[in-house]
Amino acid sequence: MTVFHFFNCAILTFGPHAVYYSATPLSEYDTLGTSVKAALVYLGTALVKLVCLATFLNVSENDGFDPYQELLKALIGFIDVAGLYFALTQLTHRNISQNHKFQAVGLGWAFADSVLHRLAPLWVGARGLEFTWDYILQGLEANANLVLSISLAALGSLMWLRKNKPKTLIPIIYACAGIVATMPSITSYLRRGLGWHFPKVVGFELFTSLVMAFISWQLFSACQRPSA
Amino acid sequence: MAALKKSGAYRQLLESMYSMIALLFILVACIELCNAAAAVDVYRLIQYDMSGSPFGSRFAALNHHAASLHFPPGADLSRTVLIIPLRELNITFVREYINQKKPLGGLLFLLPQVFSFENGGNKQIHEKEKLKNVLAELEQLLIHANIPYPVYFAFENDEIDTVLSDIKKNDAIGQPATATTGGYKLVIPTPEPKKVASPTITNIQGWLSGLKGDVDANQLPTIAVVASYDTFGAAPALSLGSDSNGSGIVALLEVARLFSLLYSNPRTRGRYNLLFGLTSGGPYNYNGTQKWLRSFDQRLRESIDYAICLNSIGSWDNELWIHVSKPPENAYIKQIFEGFSNVAEELDLKVGLKHKKINISNPRRHIYGHQGKNVQIFADDSSLAVNPSYVQSWLDLLSRTPRVAPFISKNDPFVMALKKELADHTDEVTVQNEILEGIFTFYDSTHTRLNIYQVASVTFDLLLLLVLGSYLIVLFSFLVITTRGLDDLISLFRRPPSRKVKTA
Repeated sequence: MTVFHFFNCAILTFGPHAVYYSATPLSEYDTLGTSVKAALVYLGTALVKLVCLATFLNVSENDGFDPYQELLKALIGFIDVAGLYFALTQLTHRNISQNHKFQAVGLGWAFADSVLHRLAPLWVGARGLEFTWDYILQGLEANANLVLSISLAALGSLMWLRKNKPKTLIPIIYACAGIVATMPSITSYLRRGLGWHFPKVVGFELFTSLVMAFISWQLFSACQRPSA
Repeated sequence: MAALKKSGAYRQLLESMYSMIALLFILVACIELCNAAAAVDVYRLIQYDMSGSPFGSRFAALNHHAASLHFPPGADLSRTVLIIPLRELNITFVREYINQKKPLGGLLFLLPQVFSFENGGNKQIHEKEKLKNVLAELEQLLIHANIPYPVYFAFENDEIDTVLSDIKKNDAIGQPATATTGGYKLVIPTPEPKKVASPTITNIQGWLSGLKGDVDANQLPTIAVVASYDTFGAAPALSLGSDSNGSGIVALLEVARLFSLLYSNPRTRGRYNLLFGLTSGGPYNYNGTQKWLRSFDQRLRESIDYAICLNSIGSWDNELWIHVSKPPENAYIKQIFEGFSNVAEELDLKVGLKHKKINISNPRRHIYGHQGKNVQIFADDSSLAVNPSYVQSWLDLLSRTPRVAPFISKNDPFVMALKKELADHTDEVTVQNEILEGIFTFYDSTHTRLNIYQVASVTFDLLLLLVLGSYLIVLFSFLVITTRGLDDLISLFRRPPSRKVKTA
């Protein structure tokens, strides 16, 4: 039964990525290479972030919320954005339309994030006899993360790849990108500073991811109209 | 051409990845991880054969669901473990179960914390007395029965209490419904219990020679002081405590210490040789003492004038009982009794005389025991006073050490400690190792760790799979509709027939 539970949580965590790839036109245009490259870029940025965190951060004994440390972590989180920029602009992709490029990059990014952060705890924990709700919540968190990554990639492509944007929308784009980029800090503040429990935090993440996705979709389609 | 080759290579890569994942899953099935809700120390009921007939709990490994006493009547318990706290024990219920040989997965008795050896103190003595009687009755029932499932004892603590209250709640409702209030599984992964090969009993004796004077040393009469140091109980790992016969041991060691002080100076040396014996095998019909006596030289045996066997001193309040084998009218007995009474009067103790007929042909004929409180023969506040801290520290040690003979090896640290202690106080110490023969065979695996897991039922897993499957299907259709349009979704299901039409 325990392997069964592991299997359930695994398809909850990694299933949506596969479904997204096969359902959207990404599979028709064979953008797997792009996703793989984006995943590798994520790996690189994770390593850089790790080194920076180890050098600059001091680990506190209690689990409270230290504003200075969190600020530092948020700054280091912007390395993520830099990595995404690199993946979107610098890598040579085959001739894919911009529409699909950001989706492929976002997908690869989210998949790498899920594997690195969630596979190991799942493997070690979900196979035991003891039952907890943690791994199901972790899977839901992975889903929210997928939506957030794709919306961040969309906003990123809007910022860096699209040359003519309506002037009024530019600050909104940057603001949304900023919010999505700092999501990790916001969730850790909720968990430690306000003391929210895990289910509540996951609910919040799902909600904001849907909201952000909707907003970025609107922005994208709004920017698309003039160039189309 | 190049594109085909590339796609072929791609496909091979994917296939090798799939095979690796499959291999990984096979490996997964072999590994079992422990992440229990609670892990508790448990002690197994003794398992022994007496003349070939099996007694006690015959199994050690456990892997069943837990239930409390409030289980729905008529439920099948052959794959459940009943958790019974001692406070709620209904002895007739247990007796009925055992005598009628009803099928059961296992029994777990929870002993209150007051019985725990780490927890000293005399709080709630009345409750303790009542529980002690219940426990004694339970012990007698379990020792003499042949139980074909594991029986364990554990001490109550917070974790087990919460688990038990949860189980009771579930049992009151009926069958557990959801995953979080689902069942608890008790797992003890030990191998089958094996026989203890050649259990040894170790007798330690110490000898203090008396004043030789004008008489040859070998012709001095001897006084023997004997006590047995091992115990027996329903759960061998819990058979500790100062009675039967820790108090006797402590008294013997204290007497040895005092007499060694006296005998070290020739002026205060008495005209008796003193022989101190620490024997094992007490509960098994004094097997060890018997062997020890048999090993004596004939002359030594003849020279023993008096033999004092100290047994369970300190169990009664202020009474001292002397069991004698010869009738009380015997002059020697009268003399001893008078001596004891005089001393006892000064100390507010009562001394009684009990005549117990003992089989003369048995070499035990010289042994009579007396039970009573700590007798302070020597004056207080002198260097020969009984040392209370010495007595206390040895009593503490004995209260904390389980001393069932078959499970104590020859070189057990406790035995070594006794030997060293006796060597400090006597001239000469000899150790005799014998095999506990006879009609008993014991089995090991007395102390192990129980893991309590909170498990979800199978239906929960299947339900979750169903929910996830439908979620993924909905997600898939949603994405296809939004990105490719509804026609594409419908065409996904209609493709095979249209292909047939095309080829035809």
